[in-house]
Amino acid sequence: MVTEEEIEQVAKLMKIDVHDHKEFVEKVHDMINYFDILDSAGVEDEEIIMKDLPLSSLREDKHIPYDDKLIEKLNNYKGSYVRAPKMI
Amino acid sequence: MEGVKKGDFSAEDFMSATIDRIKNIDDKVHAFLQINSDAVEQARQIDKKLKLGEKIGACFGMPISIKDNICIKNSKTTCASKMLENFIAPYDATVISKLKEQDAVFVGKANMDEFAMGLTTEFSAYGPSRNPWNTDYVPGGSSGGSAVSVSAFECVASLGSDTGGSVRNPASFCSTVGYKPTYGLISRYGLISYANSIEQIGPITRTVKDTAFLLNIISGLDANDNTTIDNGSQDYLSEIDSGIEGRKIGIVKEMMGEGIDSSVLSATNDAVSRLEGLGAVCENVSIDMVKYSVAAYYTITATEAGSNLARYDNLRYGYDFPVEGFEFNSYISKARAKFGPEVIRRMILGGFVPSSGHAGKYFLKALKVKSKLTKEVNEAFKKYDYLIAPTVPILPFKIGEKINDPVSLFLVDINTVMSNLSGIPSISIPFAMSNGLPIGMQMMAKHLDDKSLLQAAKALENTVHLPEVSI
Amino acid sequence: MTKIGLEIHCQLTKLESKLFCSCKANYREHEINSNICPVCMGLPGTLPRINQKAIEKATLIAMALNCSTPEKIAFFRKNYFYPDLPKNFQITQLNIYGDTSVGGSGMVTIGDKKIRISRIQLEEDPGRLIYEGSSSKNQITLVDYNRAGTPLVEIVTEPDFENPKQVREFLNILSDLLENLDVSDPSLEGAMRADANVSIEGGNKVEIKNIGSFHDLEKAVHFEITRQESLHSRDIPIIQETRHWDDKRKITISSRSKEEELDYRYFLESDIPWIRIGKEIHEKLKLEMPESISSKKERYVSKYGIPDQVANVLSSDKFYSDLFEKSHTENNAKEIANIITTDLMGLVDTREKREQSKLQPSHLNDLADSIRSGKLTRTSAKNALYEIVKSGNELSQVISELDLGNVSDENELLNIISQVISEEPQAVEQAKSNPQTVNFLVGKVMQKTKGKADPKLTLDLLKKELG
Repeated sequence: MVTEEEIEQVAKLMKIDVHDHKEFVEKVHDMINYFDILDSAGVEDEEIIMKDLPLSSLREDKHIPYDDKLIEKLNNYKGSYVRAPKMI
Repeated sequence: MEGVKKGDFSAEDFMSATIDRIKNIDDKVHAFLQINSDAVEQARQIDKKLKLGEKIGACFGMPISIKDNICIKNSKTTCASKMLENFIAPYDATVISKLKEQDAVFVGKANMDEFAMGLTTEFSAYGPSRNPWNTDYVPGGSSGGSAVSVSAFECVASLGSDTGGSVRNPASFCSTVGYKPTYGLISRYGLISYANSIEQIGPITRTVKDTAFLLNIISGLDANDNTTIDNGSQDYLSEIDSGIEGRKIGIVKEMMGEGIDSSVLSATNDAVSRLEGLGAVCENVSIDMVKYSVAAYYTITATEAGSNLARYDNLRYGYDFPVEGFEFNSYISKARAKFGPEVIRRMILGGFVPSSGHAGKYFLKALKVKSKLTKEVNEAFKKYDYLIAPTVPILPFKIGEKINDPVSLFLVDINTVMSNLSGIPSISIPFAMSNGLPIGMQMMAKHLDDKSLLQAAKALENTVHLPEVSI
Repeated sequence: MTKIGLEIHCQLTKLESKLFCSCKANYREHEINSNICPVCMGLPGTLPRINQKAIEKATLIAMALNCSTPEKIAFFRKNYFYPDLPKNFQITQLNIYGDTSVGGSGMVTIGDKKIRISRIQLEEDPGRLIYEGSSSKNQITLVDYNRAGTPLVEIVTEPDFENPKQVREFLNILSDLLENLDVSDPSLEGAMRADANVSIEGGNKVEIKNIGSFHDLEKAVHFEITRQESLHSRDIPIIQETRHWDDKRKITISSRSKEEELDYRYFLESDIPWIRIGKEIHEKLKLEMPESISSKKERYVSKYGIPDQVANVLSSDKFYSDLFEKSHTENNAKEIANIITTDLMGLVDTREKREQSKLQPSHLNDLADSIRSGKLTRTSAKNALYEIVKSGNELSQVISELDLGNVSDENELLNIISQVISEEPQAVEQAKSNPQTVNFLVGKVMQKTKGKADPKLTLDLLKKELG
């Protein structure tokens, strides 16, 4: 059972202001319940397959400066710094 | 393009006609979020080059629409979200560069479900798109705008993105061809990430040949994307008419199960007969893990989305909302409340499932299901050359009908997520109509067998004769 | 039983580019937010492209610390929100699906103490924050992303240290080692940072973060041990927590407990496939691995007869050992070692001085040979060295320009000696009665010749004059 408190905690974790926690409780609860079906899949011993690349195929260590004045194209900058709210 | 090449008409004329068409009908279907005001001029430049005998790229000024989660330099790229209302991409996606090189002209940015999360394009922050076959109905999603623009003759082709069916589903609902390539075939550099371990850019076109044509241009190894694979410079157009005589096709039992619409079922049986008529051998095959694929899919995508969308904190780009007077946590949380309700739902889910509180049980399990599913799929391809199933088990439904029932909406994906989870190529072609609503047929092939898949799809397409949209 | 463990972050400053893009790895010369690109800024749609050499260097470090190195490595996302993190997640390494970080368990010996290394991981550095605005209401945080994406190697030790002294020794050895491997320049500001964890009497572990320098680290650890011992002696339980080092007040302060709430939701970074580091690469790296400091020292002592203490200094500083390796011959090795560790040291004791120094290995050869042949006195050599470091001129040029040549002309010397004798009658009397004190007079002659008088000859002549 997913509680309102849990929704509140997760909203804080994901940094989203959720006004009506109740609304989410039901929907998220339904979705998580649906995921319980994974328990019957019988995959406990399954290994996770991963693709791999050889070291030699990776990017060469070279400095290539990015030409466009990127910082000017992004908003929220002062002079050249990016502005962020104060940290406590 | 043949037309422009031969001189039957100029690129500019074609583009003007296209823009006119868009102006005439887009009010009714809302495929576009933005229209390129320079399109006609760009086409004119191509005509000029042609006249001067200069080399022209393979696209000859072809009008293409681009889903609004693919970056075009100096163009607004919003992902149909208010969070990226003012984001102007400072670079081109790899697929965009490749198409530009071939003298394609981008006619506009196509509407989508916000951040590609959805199946109906109803979750766009800028209003839904509508099915051109019946504007009360959904066009599918999340690449709804792309499919609509192609289906309604607002452009010749489109690029969408497919995470769990987002290219094939709207292609099916709008009666166009929709293609999801083998994972890694097309570079994702410039595709705004939703679920990066399984998504791919995919073309939406009117014919299978057009898809093969585009695939030749946009596929291939890209240094900017470490997940791309070497396809050995395949030519997807050559031998596309090879046919399917003697091939073995598996009909996926779990995709024809309970809840399938009767007209979809009979269309599928019809498709099987036609394929057999062409010399293929068809029989039922069971892929057990399909039952768990939707749950695995939503678990994995929620987790990845929660992480991929974390960067949208409005500090470096986004929309106008000054930081003065705020403390960090409260600013970020407020700024991010601009996400639409579906995105927020998925993010909350994405915070739950991998979290150590719930012992990450869902996420790890989902990964294991993904692995087992891939194994089962590979096993199936030892016996069969292709797999077949209807793209969507139900017919297009009305706008607003399913929007409040997330779990029921989940299940619309059940036939398409398997290809994303296992990384195999998959195509939807227009197959039938039921009461004026399109039904698409889906074919799948094994990993990196894209060329062969297009051949099979072409063979089936040859047997299909459908009307053009009337809008 | 005090237990201290360390988490050391070392930037791979010797690389050309960042970990996931081609911006410069060493960001220090760049203007604010000018060493950035769409990838390290985490712009929508961008993907990481991992730096091959970074993995090689990190593996080299792991090998040098005697760590196990896996066949395949993987990267993970550590998810949290902070303004210096452009993607609001950090790409790092973990070992939750088997051993997938670049180095597994290893060992470093300091003296007779063994320190176990828990793991070594490769990850990206975040950007830098600056707090602006005095009044709390108008305070803004300013962010510079030049550093974001710089390659970091994190070295985690087991809590094997018993006291701050061992910590300091270890950090010195580690700095020298990293510099010797040519992967990092530890003298660069911010190139090496460390966090510590401390527990006493088998009690709870307390983590200390936000330590600015190695100097502060020793202080912080010392303070924390004292703090815990004080609590313990009063039977007050020690809470397991994370504390911040307050540099102004020189104490550790409890961080807000919200740190504990943080759930990083670790999962695999799918944009970077697993990387296969085969046996071939390991062999290649073994060959590339520079000679270790201890091996160098041993060689200096056994092959050249260089005294232990001198060999210590010479081998543990890469700048010195490089000079030595490039300049010495069988015969003058000892002399060069001497010059480097006595005369040169004071002239190149900072990074700026070393960067500006014009000294070449050939200069050292010339100097050593001149001293041994008697052409230059020690004092003159010292003066010559000063000039060479400044100008880079050839020794012969310096000798003539500064007139450093030995005064070995007997007549000239006798002249000066008579001057000194007449000026210092008391010292002369003393020297006649007590021959040991003649050195005072030698000194005076040296003074008059600005150190150029041949000391042996001077002594002989003086003795003669005095009878």
